[in-house]
Parts: sequence; C-alpha cells; structure tokens
Amino acid sequence: MTATHLPPNEPHTRTADSWSHAFASAVRIVLVLIAILVVVQALFVVQVRPQDLVTGFHGMVDILRRSMPPDFSNLSTVLWPALETIDIAIFGTLAGLVLSMPLAIVAAANVTPSRLLYYASRGVIGLTRSVPDLVWALLFVTAVGLGPFPGGLALAVHSIGMMGRLFAETIEHMDMAPIDALSLTGARRMQIFTHGVLPSVLPSLLGISLYRLDENIRSSLVLGFVGAGGIGFQLLTAMNLFQYQQVSVLLIVTFVIVLTAERLSAIARERLA
Amino acid sequence: MLDIRRLSLRYPNGKLALADFDITVGAGELVIVLGGNGSGKTTLMRCITRTLQPSEGSVCVNGTDLTRLTGERLRCARLELALISQHASLVRRRSVLANVASGALGRYGSWFTALGGLPAMELHLANGYLAEVGLGHLAHQRAGTLSGGQAQRVAIARALAQRPRVLLADEPVASLDPEAAEDIMKLLRRLAGEENLAILCVLHQIELAYAYADRVVGIRDGRMAFDLPRAEVSPDEVRHLYLSRAA
Repeated sequence: MTATHLPPNEPHTRTADSWSHAFASAVRIVLVLIAILVVVQALFVVQVRPQDLVTGFHGMVDILRRSMPPDFSNLSTVLWPALETIDIAIFGTLAGLVLSMPLAIVAAANVTPSRLLYYASRGVIGLTRSVPDLVWALLFVTAVGLGPFPGGLALAVHSIGMMGRLFAETIEHMDMAPIDALSLTGARRMQIFTHGVLPSVLPSLLGISLYRLDENIRSSLVLGFVGAGGIGFQLLTAMNLFQYQQVSVLLIVTFVIVLTAERLSAIARERLA
Repeated sequence: MLDIRRLSLRYPNGKLALADFDITVGAGELVIVLGGNGSGKTTLMRCITRTLQPSEGSVCVNGTDLTRLTGERLRCARLELALISQHASLVRRRSVLANVASGALGRYGSWFTALGGLPAMELHLANGYLAEVGLGHLAHQRAGTLSGGQAQRVAIARALAQRPRVLLADEPVASLDPEAAEDIMKLLRRLAGEENLAILCVLHQIELAYAYADRVVGIRDGRMAFDLPRAEVSPDEVRHLYLSRAA
C-alpha cells in the first residue's frame, strides 16, 4: 500500500541508507573492540597484579612510619643541593632559549630563509626533543663527568627541542600583515625580524620559556638519580642508605620548590598575557 | 613620478588579470582608481609594488623601472614607494612612535637598527609626522589600543617616515566609518599638495572620489575604462564600472 505512494526510486534510497547505517554501526563496534583489546594487552604487558598492592601495604606503612618525623636537623645540608637543582633548571632553560631562538626562526615556514635550512632545523628540533632529558643526562655524565654541569647541559639540549618547536609554531601563527607592511618599506630581513616579528611574538615566547623553566625544575630533581647533580642525587643516596627521615625532608623541600616554581611561573605568565 | 606603461598580468592558468594598463601620476597629484570587486584594482597595486611580477609592461618610479629589478636593487627602489592598505598593519605591541619610525628602517644598514634600535633622528622625525596626521599626543601609546581611524593615520605617518615620492593607498578607508573615511581622504589630499607626493588611491566610495581626486581612473575586467579629470567623469561611466558582466 505505502509503496504505491512513494516515488519510484525511494525503495532503492532506503535500502542504500540502511546498508550504510549498518556498515557504520559495524565499524563502530570493531573500533570499540580494538580499543578494549589495546587496554587488555596493556594490562597484561605491565603485569598488573592488584593483590600485590594489598600484600605490599604493610611494607609501605612501614616505610612511612620510619620516615616520620622528618629529620630537619640536617636541613642546612639540603639547601645547597636544592639551590643546585634550581640553578640547573635556570641554566638549562636559558641556554635552551638562546640556542632554540635561531633554530625556531629558520624552522618557521613563514619566515625561513631557505627550505633546506627549514628541514635541517626541524630535524635538529625533532632529535633533541625525542631523546628524553634523562638519557641526555646519562650521555653528558659520561662525557663531562658527575655534577650539576651535565644536568644543565641535558636540560639545555632537551629544551632546544621543546622550546624550538613551540617558538616556531608561535611565529608561524602570528599575523603576517605588519611583517609584509615592514617588508614593503624596504626594511632588511634582520630589521623585519627585530622590529616586526620579535615584538609581536615576545609575550608568547616569554610565556613558553617560563613554562619550560617550571618543567625543567621538575626534571632537574630527577636528573640527580643518574649523577647529574641536585637534590635527586641526595634523595637516591638517602634511600640507598635507608635514611627515610632524611628522605621525607628531601621530599618536603622538593614539594616546596615545585609548588613555588609552578605558582611563580603561572603568575608571571598571567601578567604577560 | 609614477609612470605605468602597458602593464599586464596573466596568471599561469591563462586568466588575464590586468591588460595594457597605462597610468601616470605626477607629483602633488591624487589619482583615484574606481572599479568593482575582482576588476583588478588590488592586482594593479600588487604589480606596482612588485609583490606580483607583471607579465608585461613597466612601472617607473622617478625614472626607475621596478619590473626589471630584483634583490637589493628592488629593495632600494621600494624606498621611493610607500603603501597603505585597508588594514593599518601596525605592530600592535609597539608604541605608535616606534611604528612610525620603523617606516624609515630601509634607509639604515647598521647593526643598531638590525638589533631592534631606532635612530634618534628618526624618532624625532616620527614625532613630526605624527603631529602632521594629528596624533602627536598618542606617540607613546601602544599601537594595539588605537581605533581604526587612528591606526590608519599612524599607517600614513609610517608611510611618510619612509620619505617616499609615491604613495599607494589600497582601499585605505574600507574599514572606517564615514567620518573617519572623510578625515583620511582630507589628509591624503593635503599630503599630496604639501609633501608633493604622487598618490594613487584605490577606492570603492564614488562620492569620495568625486570630492577629493584630481583624476579618476576606472578599471573594469583588468582594463582601463577611463582616465579623466574628476569634473569630466559622468555618473553613467562610473555606474558602468559596477555593472556585472552578465548584465
């Protein structure tokens, strides 16, 4: 009955619609199954054993009990490594900033002077970013020995990649109209950069650098584990010697450093925005 | 001052955007180009500034043919030719004074200017140009805080700082309210006379062309439709410019 009232091609359209709807549903089910499979294999590969958390609870309570109260009598010995940790981050961020700026300029598609330099700088940025700072620290400890210097170098190299990429993207997304206007006045390339590009992107670059400093302070805490100076080295030593009251002091100092850096960085970035 | 002969541009797809365009703008003259959307007005401006390479013809500024120049020689020749466009294109985070003075950067090759410095003499002159466009009191304000009309005046002051012989204006009042648009046109009219500038200005506002132009040039489908003193331009000729091709 109904079919007689429909245009001649309507049944075909409806069949095609229902087939495409069924196909889309099937694809959705397959995607959900794949997602579940990925999660399950991850649980197997990392050998998740919730029962170990229950059996290990006693051990964890024991460590916490032995960590209390924190032994503040040695606080003065913690202050120097704490300063070292902050200074490693400051050095790493500043060196990274200075080295990543020229790389970012040639790695920004809209201002790069040549395609060859563009790909070369993108390669350097990619390489320095893809190798973790802890691995860079291991390499620099081997090269220049133990202490804060390899830590600073590791953060500097890793920061080149992280900041270089963000700087380049900031330059690529800037408004090009003032730059084109300066170019048409006959200004030279370097003048266009310092009078047009830099003032336009400076607040963003400073914001990125402050955020990187905040990240680097957190990273430099860990670099001590591989002998690259700072509070991390003290933390590892105290743990190896089962000095848990000393460990708790180091963790409190770490917490204060991280929280203060995070807050100061956020305030400074808010003011720049 | 500005002498354009048989200027043509054919895009790689074969489309003729500009055909055999002839126009001369003398010192102290304000010539206004009228034409509909897609008629070739902006293409003409871009061919003059050499941001587009014309297929044929010449663009002579004070006797130098820009179409034959490249690299450093083109950069030096461009010093004679300033452009203001629809949007003021100022560096928003810099002061008004620094924006104006940066118009003269092309005249300097020193490390001082390459590293972000502005010569004291240019800052002094920039104050004068700002006073000339009526914005001397805003010299130390950030460019990003200006209104559209003020920003366009600063763009004109920056063009003056370049100390050009020819000033190109590509729809300089398109984004301004009628009062600000009148102000800008009055300013251009005055500058043509006082600074002895050759001004070629693209507009959409017919009434402004009638009020301020020495000559009016009509452009349609990339070809010159007429080039007449403003008193001789008939409303019919202008209306014809804006008729669609289908009509």
